[in-house]
Amino acid sequence: MGKSWLRDYIIKRLIYSVIIAWGILTITFVLVRVGPSSPADKYLANLAARGQDPAQVTAAIEARYGLDKPILVQYADYVANLFRGNLGWSFSTSMPVIELIKTHWIYSFQLILLSSLFAAFLGILIGIYSAVKQYTKVDYAFTFFSFIGISIPNFWLGIMLILIFSVRLGLFKTYYDTTLPLFSLDNLKALVLPVITLGTGMLAGYVRYTRSAMLDNLRKAFVTTARAKGLPERTVIGKHVFRNALLPLVTIIMFDLGSIVFGGAYLTEIIFGIPGLGQISFNAIFANDYPVVVAVTIIGTFLVLLINLMTDITYTYLDPRIRYD
Amino acid sequence: MTERLRDIVRRTSQHLRSNARLVNYYWQRTQRNKLAVFGLAFIIFLILLALIGPLFTLDPTAVNFEEKNMPPVGFTIEQSIYNIKTNEFTTKEIPGTWKHPLGTDSKGRDMLAMIVSGARVSLQVGLIATGIAIILGTIIGVLSAYLGGWADNALMRFTDVMMTFPFFLLLVLIVFIFGPSLVFIVLAIGLTGWTGIARLIRSEALSLRTREFVIAAKALGASDNRVIFRHLIPNVISLIIIIATLSIPGVILAEAALSFIGLGDPTVSSWGIILEAGQTSLNTAWWVAVEPGIMLFLTVLAFNFLGDGLRDAFDPKSNI
Repeated sequence: MGKSWLRDYIIKRLIYSVIIAWGILTITFVLVRVGPSSPADKYLANLAARGQDPAQVTAAIEARYGLDKPILVQYADYVANLFRGNLGWSFSTSMPVIELIKTHWIYSFQLILLSSLFAAFLGILIGIYSAVKQYTKVDYAFTFFSFIGISIPNFWLGIMLILIFSVRLGLFKTYYDTTLPLFSLDNLKALVLPVITLGTGMLAGYVRYTRSAMLDNLRKAFVTTARAKGLPERTVIGKHVFRNALLPLVTIIMFDLGSIVFGGAYLTEIIFGIPGLGQISFNAIFANDYPVVVAVTIIGTFLVLLINLMTDITYTYLDPRIRYD
Repeated sequence: MTERLRDIVRRTSQHLRSNARLVNYYWQRTQRNKLAVFGLAFIIFLILLALIGPLFTLDPTAVNFEEKNMPPVGFTIEQSIYNIKTNEFTTKEIPGTWKHPLGTDSKGRDMLAMIVSGARVSLQVGLIATGIAIILGTIIGVLSAYLGGWADNALMRFTDVMMTFPFFLLLVLIVFIFGPSLVFIVLAIGLTGWTGIARLIRSEALSLRTREFVIAAKALGASDNRVIFRHLIPNVISLIIIIATLSIPGVILAEAALSFIGLGDPTVSSWGIILEAGQTSLNTAWWVAVEPGIMLFLTVLAFNFLGDGLRDAFDPKSNI
């Protein structure tokens, strides 16, 4: 026994993640290749606009990017390049895509981190309060507002916040100031509206999940036992009920990080002009800069894969009852 | 394939019709939830708006710079107007008129007409894309559960890969590659949105597969087709209805978000496209951004209310 099953499990999960990663690369490759226009075409349009001979340019591009090689060789090159961290060349910004991402990821990271913290802390607190005061007016009010929070389109919420707090009241700037140092109070102030924009939907979701997870556990026999032992209510709720409700919550929060937050952050960055990965992908769409759009999707997906892997492993530590055989 | 689809639809409606008492029971339970009724009422209103609304509104594409940036009825804005002859600016109060009840945008197009035609786009995308996702998810889920073995393994690993892609990032990539036409957007959403449904249906079908009535049907010599279409699928129908209602808002939002970032079909006036134009004119015409957003918000809210109500109604454990 001991920890050997855990090691085996982690190895199994790692192998599995590599297979999924390969699937992701393959699907992206197929998508790009079956598309009606090849990356070369989009590049070509740019060069042809500058008055160069299309036939010559096509041949040059195809040789340069290996598009004249057999499709399987191209596929192998593509996978090998990605593993070496070579994501291609961004012609609209004239630098390697990997460099572009290195300078911009921090903006997405700070937005996602702050929004998640804001949503998780406030969401869990309100959720616990709502569950403990079930069927009171306050509980109904929170439930109603969480419905609104879930349904409000976050890009519209962002625009409304700008309209009210920036355009009308003049409390914030309408655009994110990129000259601010990252770790400063001014930067934090500039991120208030974006964090609310991205965080509201998550916050509402966490309120609902926490409330229902707490309610599920409040009815369990061990809670009655704890109360019968004469434990103070604070300890019953905090130590017994919440500890048990926490585990499904962790999964949901991690899952959200992967599937929903990246999409939300993409839109939030565009609305507020935050120069993160979403913004560079958005700019690349208009410049027809193929490698950047593909790279942002691949990186986002790989991050999700990594988060999923970490969630699974943390899980086995958090809950000793869990055994994957 | 279409034969088969028609068959499922026919049998499902038959199933519901022959169980009028059951349908009535569910309806009673759903009705008890006030918010769900509001949701349903709003959705019916929206469908009517999309179907017959365009007959009564102005042309949503008619540009008229004489009447640009007019506020909605009940609001007045100050606009500075440049007079070429005297070469000076004059401020003029412009009240909203009943000719354009919801005002006009920066090109003088009627907002009401654009909102109504946007409702049509949103509903089309929401219903068709969800339909594709549901059909695909159900087929993959049921097949996976029923076939088992390596086929199940392969299908579920493929589902895992598709699920790892952040939904919106994958959509952006697909629409960027294939070009922003409404058909491609609907297809892209449908072809990427089936994963969660497939998993749910699979787990439901797996538990059904070991039930006595399925074993009995097999023992009586029923073919695989018969077991799948007569026993498995009718039993997951209620689940499918709930998932469909709850996934429509996500689909409508996805289309709006794509339009918002410039990957929408430029030939239709989708709510997302109006919203995007509205963001750039927040200083001069706030209503252009506010109105489509409110519609989007109410639509999503209505589907969420209805979906939640249906879930409670179909859940035998909840007592409402």
